[in-house]
Amino acid sequence: MRSFDTARRTGVIRRAVALACAIAFAAGTVQAQTKANPARGAATAAPCSACHGSPQRPPLAGMPSLAGQQEQFLVLQMFLMREGLRDVPQMAGTLKDFSDRDLDEVAVYFSLQKPARGKSSGKPKLHARGAALAKGMACGSCHLGDYTGQRQVPRLANQREDYLAATMKAYRDNQRIGTDTSMNSVLYQVPDGDIEALAHYLAHQ
Amino acid sequence: MSPVLSRLLRAPAVKTLVLGALALTGAYALAQQMVTPQSKPPSEKEVKSRTSKGGYQPERMKNPNLAPHAGRMTVTAPADIPFDRIKVPKGFQVELWAHGMPGVRMMARGAKGTIWAGTRIIGRVYEIKDQGGMRTHRILAQKLVQPNGVAFQGGNLYVMAINRVFRYDGIEDNPNVKPVELTAAFKLPPEVHHNWKFIAFGPDSKLYVQVGSPCNICEPSPEHGQIRRYVADGSGMEVVARGVRNSVGFDFHPQTGELWFTDNGRDWQAEDGPQDELNRVSKLGQFFGFPYCHAQGIPDLDVKKKDPCKGVTLPVALMGPHSAALGMRFYTGAMFPKDYVNSIFVARRGSWNRSKLFGYDVVNVRATADGRNAKVVPFMTGFMDPKENKFWGRPVDVLQLPDGSLLVSDEQNGAIYRVSHKK
Repeated sequence: MRSFDTARRTGVIRRAVALACAIAFAAGTVQAQTKANPARGAATAAPCSACHGSPQRPPLAGMPSLAGQQEQFLVLQMFLMREGLRDVPQMAGTLKDFSDRDLDEVAVYFSLQKPARGKSSGKPKLHARGAALAKGMACGSCHLGDYTGQRQVPRLANQREDYLAATMKAYRDNQRIGTDTSMNSVLYQVPDGDIEALAHYLAHQ
Repeated sequence: MSPVLSRLLRAPAVKTLVLGALALTGAYALAQQMVTPQSKPPSEKEVKSRTSKGGYQPERMKNPNLAPHAGRMTVTAPADIPFDRIKVPKGFQVELWAHGMPGVRMMARGAKGTIWAGTRIIGRVYEIKDQGGMRTHRILAQKLVQPNGVAFQGGNLYVMAINRVFRYDGIEDNPNVKPVELTAAFKLPPEVHHNWKFIAFGPDSKLYVQVGSPCNICEPSPEHGQIRRYVADGSGMEVVARGVRNSVGFDFHPQTGELWFTDNGRDWQAEDGPQDELNRVSKLGQFFGFPYCHAQGIPDLDVKKKDPCKGVTLPVALMGPHSAALGMRFYTGAMFPKDYVNSIFVARRGSWNRSKLFGYDVVNVRATADGRNAKVVPFMTGFMDPKENKFWGRPVDVLQLPDGSLLVSDEQNGAIYRVSHKK
C-alpha cells in the first residue's frame, strides 16, 4: 500500500469526496454512488498515460484510450489481467501490486475523464458499410445507441480504430476474453473486412 | 433532393437524428442513400447473411438496451449476502453453507465428502471440505479457460475446461496429486461461446459432456450443438443428443437411467421466449430442434427450413423465458417429504435478455418417468425483487448430500447454501 499517514489520507479522502461529488453534480451522472476515490486513483494511474494517452493526447498505436471508459468495464478487465486470466504481459506486470481498491479507484478516475471527441471519417464508403453492419449486428443493444457503453460493456465511440479491429479479431479467434462470451458469439465467423468496417465506423462517431 | 436539404442532411448532428428516426421506421437503406449518395452500403440480404450468426434482432424486443449482467470476481463477505431473503416452502430451512469463492458454479462430490466446484471467467476450481461443522476451501486449479465441468468417479476427479481435460487420481487421499491431462483424447472444439462444459457420469459409467452451439442462433458446425458420452479415458465418443443449443445441467432418471437435460432457449426472438427446456433422451442420438425449432414447437425466425419441427423431440417441460435453467438433479434422498423423491430440482440463474427479470430461483419439477404431466413449481425464491426488477443472487447448480439435504451454488455471491427439512 502507498504510504499515506492516517491524517493525511483522511484529508485527501475528504477533498477527493468533495471533488467527486462536484464532478458528479456537474455531469449529472450517478457517479456520486461510487465509493471509490478518484484522487487516489489519479496518483495510482499516473504511469498509465504514457501508453494510454490522456484527454489531451491520443494513446500509442494499438493501445486503447481509457478516458471516459465505463468504470465497471475497467475494473473487471484490470482484474482479469492482474490474475493472468487475460494474457497481456505488459499489463500483468503493471497491475501485479494493485489491490482491489486500487482497481476501483483507477477505474473511477478514468471513467470521469472526458472521452475523445469524434473525427470525421474521410472514408464514407467504409463508414457506411460499418454503420450498416453495426445496425445488423445490433452493437448498440449492449453498447447503447451512441456506443458509450454501460456497466461492464465498454465505450466504443471514437476508440482507436486499430485497437478496435485487433480486439474484435481476437474475440472472433478466441484469443480474447471478456467477462462473458457474448463478443465471441457475436463475432463468430465474421470476416476481416467486416470487422475493419465496423472498427472504422465506431472509431469515427 | 434540393441542394439545401441535401447539405442539411450531411451535417453530422442532423445525420444522427435522421438516421435514428429512419432506423426506427425501418427505412435504413433509404437513409443511407440519402445521407451518403456516393457510397454503396451492403444490401439488406448481405448484412443479414453476415450478421445472422449472432442472430441479434433487438428491434423485435420492447427494450432493446439489454446486456448480460456482470458477474462479481472479488470476494463477497458473508455480511453482504442477504440470504435471509431466501424463501423456501414450510418445513425447510436455508443456511449459508460456504462462501468466499467468487464465481462458484457446478458442483461434484467425492466418495469421502469433498465438494469441488467449477467456475467460468475467473478460471478456478474450488475444493471444499466440511470439517467439524465448518467449511474450508482451497483453490485446486486456476487460470483455466472456464473450468465449469467437474465430475467424480472411482476415486478420481475430472475437471473440464473449454479446451482442456484433467483427471486428479485418488485426490481425496492424495490432495497434492498432479493431474493427468486427457485433452488430446477428448478432442473438444476450441470455440468458447456456449462451450463451458457440464459433465457427469452416467449409470453406464461413461462421462457425458455437453458441446454447445457457439452462437445465439446459427447453423452450428457438425461437432457442436450436442451432448456426447465418452469412456472415462476419452475414447469411444458417441453423440447422445443433437440439436442442443446450450445445456448446462443434466442428470439420469433414478428409475430408468435415461438422460434428462436442461437447454437454454435462444435470445432476441421475443421477450417471452422461446422458453428454456427440460428434455428427456429416450433414444441415442435424438434431435432436439436447434436451430430450427424451439421450445414447444416454435419455428426459428432467422434460420429457416421447411417443416422446422419435423423429427424434433419436444421438451418434457418449458422452463420459462430466458430463465437460464442450468444445474438440475433428481432428488433421491430421505430427508425431504416423500413426494419429492424422483422429482427434479432445477437452478435458474435468471434472465438478461428480457426487460422484466425472470428466474433467479430453484424450481421443483415433477413428471412421470416417461416424461408426461410435468409440473414446475417454485422451491427456493427471493434472489430477485420483481417490483424493483433487481436481483442479488444467481443460483446455478444443485447437489444432494448423503443426508438428503440440498446444496445450491450462487455464482453472483460466490456462496453455497444448504437447504434442509425438519419433520
